Amino acid sequence: MQIELFPDDIETIIREADAAAQRLRRKLSLPLCEREDLGQDLLVDLLRRLSAYDPSRGSIGAFANIVLRNQSSRIAMRHHRQRRAQGGSLLSLEVPLASTREPVGDTLTEDDGLAAWHGQTCCAAAVTELHHALQAALARLPAEDRRFCAALAHRPVTALAAEGFGSRSALYRRLADLRHVLTVHGLGPAWDDLAAA
Amino acid sequence: MFMGTTPFITVRARRPLTEIEFCAWVAQAVPGDRLEYHRGFLVLDIFPMFARLPDQQRAELARLGSRAFWAAEQGLVHLVQERTGPDQFAYIAVARPKPKAAAVSLSALLLAEQEAA
Repeated sequence: MQIELFPDDIETIIREADAAAQRLRRKLSLPLCEREDLGQDLLVDLLRRLSAYDPSRGSIGAFANIVLRNQSSRIAMRHHRQRRAQGGSLLSLEVPLASTREPVGDTLTEDDGLAAWHGQTCCAAAVTELHHALQAALARLPAEDRRFCAALAHRPVTALAAEGFGSRSALYRRLADLRHVLTVHGLGPAWDDLAAA
Repeated sequence: MFMGTTPFITVRARRPLTEIEFCAWVAQAVPGDRLEYHRGFLVLDIFPMFARLPDQQRAELARLGSRAFWAAEQGLVHLVQERTGPDQFAYIAVARPKPKAAAVSLSALLLAEQEAA
C-alpha cells in the first residue's frame, strides 16, 4: 500500500529511530560509535515496514515506536547470542583496548579473524607454502594415483568404481594408503602436533 | 686441526609409534635426523604365532614396519638397526634428502581430469 508522508512524519520517524538506537546502545553497553550503525539498522527496518502503517489506527509516531521496539529486541537477542558464542564479551573494532591508543581492529592480524577461528587458512605465506607442498607431493605420486586424486575432487568413490577405476574396496584401501603417502610428502598432520599430543 | 663433528641425535618415542606418526616424522625430518621407531625384534614381534604383543598393537607395528620399508624404497630414509642386547634391536630410520621432482600443477591436473570425464 502506498502511503503519503509529510515532512513532519519523516522527522518523527528519524527522531524515533535515533532515540531507539540510543536506548539500544545503552542497553547493550556498546560504545558511542555503534549508535549510528544501530540507528541505520533500525531505520531501514522501519522504512521497509512503513507500507503496513494504517493512519486510521494511530499516529505515525506510535507505529514507528512499536516497529522500532520489536526490531530493537531482535537486534539485542542477536547481540546476546553472538556474545555467548564468543565467550561472553563483545569488542568493537573501532575502540582502543585499555592502556592502548590504537583501535582493536588495527592490532588484529588475519589469523585473529573469524575465518581463521573456523579453520580457514588466511595467512598468505601459509597458503603459498601449502600450494608448493601440494605441487611437490603431486609430483611424487605415481600417475595413476594423481589421476585418482584429481578424479576424487569431482566424484565420490562409488562413482569412480562404476567408471572402472577399480572395486570400491580397492579404492578405499588405496585412499587409506594415500593418506599416509601424502603425509610423508608434507600434506598431513605435523609431527610436532602428534608428538605433543 | 680437527674438524668438528655433528653428534647424531636419535628421537625415541615414549610410546609405540603409529604409521601416520612415522609418516609425519618423515615429512618434517631434515637429512640426518634419526628416529627409533621400534625396539625389540621386529620380525618376531609382528609374527602372530609368538603372540608377543596384543593383536591390535601387533597389526599397527606390522603396518609401521611396512611403511618404514616403503619409505626406504622411496629414497626418503635409510633403515638401520642397532643391537642393544641379545635378540634386542633398536630400529632406526635416518632421514635422507628429499628426492627432487618437477612440480605438478594441481589446476592443470584437475582440468585434464574434467576433460577426460
